[in-house]
Amino acid sequence: MSDAIIAPRGLADQLTTLFWRHPRLLLALLITPPLLWLGVVYLGSLAALLLQSFYSIDEFSGLIVPEFTLKTYGELLRPSNADVILRTLAMAIAVTLASAVLAFPIAYFAARYAKGRWKAAFYLGIMLPLWSSYLVKVYAWKLILAKEGILTWAAQATHTDWLLNAALSLPGVGGNSLSTSFIGTFLTFTYAWLPFMILPMQAALERVPTSMLEASADLGATARQTFRTVVLPLAMPGIVAGSIFTFSLTLGDYIIPQIIGTSASFIGMAVYQLQGTAGNIPLAAAFAVVPIAIMLIYLALAKRAGAFDAL
Amino acid sequence: MTSAVEFRAVSRHFGATRAVDAVDLTIAEGTFFAMLGPSGSGKTTCLRLISGFEKPTSGQIRIFAEDVSAVPPHLRNVNTVFQDYALFPHMNVRDNVAYGLMVKGMARAARYAKAEEMLSLVHLDSYGDRKPAQLSGGQRQRVALARALVNEPRVLLLDEPLGALDLKLREAMQDELKSLQKRLGITFVFVTHDQSEALSMADSLAVFNNGRIAQIGTPTDIYAHPKTRFVADFVGSSNVLPPALTQSLGGPAKWSSLRPEALHPAPFGPITGTVTVLRYLGAGNRVTVTTQGQDIAALLPMGTPTPDIGAPLTLTFDPAALHVMDET
Repeated sequence: MSDAIIAPRGLADQLTTLFWRHPRLLLALLITPPLLWLGVVYLGSLAALLLQSFYSIDEFSGLIVPEFTLKTYGELLRPSNADVILRTLAMAIAVTLASAVLAFPIAYFAARYAKGRWKAAFYLGIMLPLWSSYLVKVYAWKLILAKEGILTWAAQATHTDWLLNAALSLPGVGGNSLSTSFIGTFLTFTYAWLPFMILPMQAALERVPTSMLEASADLGATARQTFRTVVLPLAMPGIVAGSIFTFSLTLGDYIIPQIIGTSASFIGMAVYQLQGTAGNIPLAAAFAVVPIAIMLIYLALAKRAGAFDAL
Repeated sequence: MTSAVEFRAVSRHFGATRAVDAVDLTIAEGTFFAMLGPSGSGKTTCLRLISGFEKPTSGQIRIFAEDVSAVPPHLRNVNTVFQDYALFPHMNVRDNVAYGLMVKGMARAARYAKAEEMLSLVHLDSYGDRKPAQLSGGQRQRVALARALVNEPRVLLLDEPLGALDLKLREAMQDELKSLQKRLGITFVFVTHDQSEALSMADSLAVFNNGRIAQIGTPTDIYAHPKTRFVADFVGSSNVLPPALTQSLGGPAKWSSLRPEALHPAPFGPITGTVTVLRYLGAGNRVTVTTQGQDIAALLPMGTPTPDIGAPLTLTFDPAALHVMDET
């Protein structure tokens, strides 16, 4: 044997040789388990859900009739159910817009100016709230927003309670106190999902080179023009990614509106009640399909508006 | 002649680092001016001081006799071709070129017509609909050039614009930039670390070292009469000779420079040493002769017999070629 070839020293060398000769083999080995998980467990249950939504319930016996029908979807259009959908949709839009507006300056600062220790502090500040229990945070907000809570106290102490009372007396979104109004639900949602908006936005802004902003100014653009024509379009994929989180999380959540807000139902609460106490699995499934449909429509609109052009 | 750009004792310090240190500089209108220097020598900072992306720590910058201390970049009639081109990836080539006109509020039809005119100036007539990602490096470079020229700036700044191109393309672009500058008559300020690029393109150049201008002059002047050891060494890789050696070669006891192409092999001559390095250059050989611990490079044109490594070699030169430097 010549010195040009080193003899394999064991199984590791032989396996490495095998993978080198058949590069796709390693890829297949690595990707099969997660694909099975995704295919069977995730897509499978989604298909089951979709199937259930085309069944109906026998109103007398309460039993599920396993026959294809669109009757259950028709029930979604009943005023009481349509209200739930529209209310949830309005909340999701409001939460997404507010998150985007709040997140942008934070993400911009983090991407452009924060370096070293400041950047670490930024990540910690954004991630820290995600580490504590979701329920603890929601109950904390219940206390903050309560009539005897710190916000009311602070408003009285600074003589701005007229502002609070004005907000609470708004028709539709107001209420007896912040913790029992849609404003409270909105505030808690916005707090809870804000990190999910900031992080993708910051990642998108980080990829915009400084020279591009300089080029814009160099060619005569004002700061406002640079923002509108360069920064915003380039950050758009990140903003859309973030809004997918805030939008879909709001559409599906059933805990926040149950703890904070009026007793009015949201899609998540409806699903929870229908499949639990009411035992109406088909209608619960039909309700669960609504956020999926809304997200698909939203993404199609975003694509048509050119949100992904900078990808 | 009016000066396009004037620096009066301009400094730009970043903390303790003196990126630009008390620089005085006058760039005449309509010239092709090169700023040459190694990385970190302050040349790019000088360019950014002209465009307004850096503010001087002290001193005054004038553009066409106007003090621009309080003028932000977007109000300076100066445009830049960026090193990484900085084309907007979400816009097509036409919109990129028309950008400067768009932000001024020019109507779409008018600005597109002007953009097409600029694109044809850089020989990219039919590329308007493409995205920057679909172009080659050389084409992106031309788009960046067209975009910077669309506003008809009075000074065009170019920050190492040819650095990312391969040799062939770079040489073609050098000729093109030069002829473009002649045709438009705009003042070009060109930053480069490539001395041959600066020498071949510039009407006038400044050699930067450690935030200061080591020498300013015409290419021939700087090449033939370097003022300092740094300039002699950096421009044209000259042999820099210490005072003792200069004296033994018939000069005064001062530092001097001797160009490799001024040395020829001969039966008799003042320099005799051992060949230590031989580098084939295509058009000839570059040979390094070591004598008394000093390396001296000579350029042997094609046809000259190639010496062997380790063999003795005697070199001679025209005494007029020995350039004595006043400063070290």
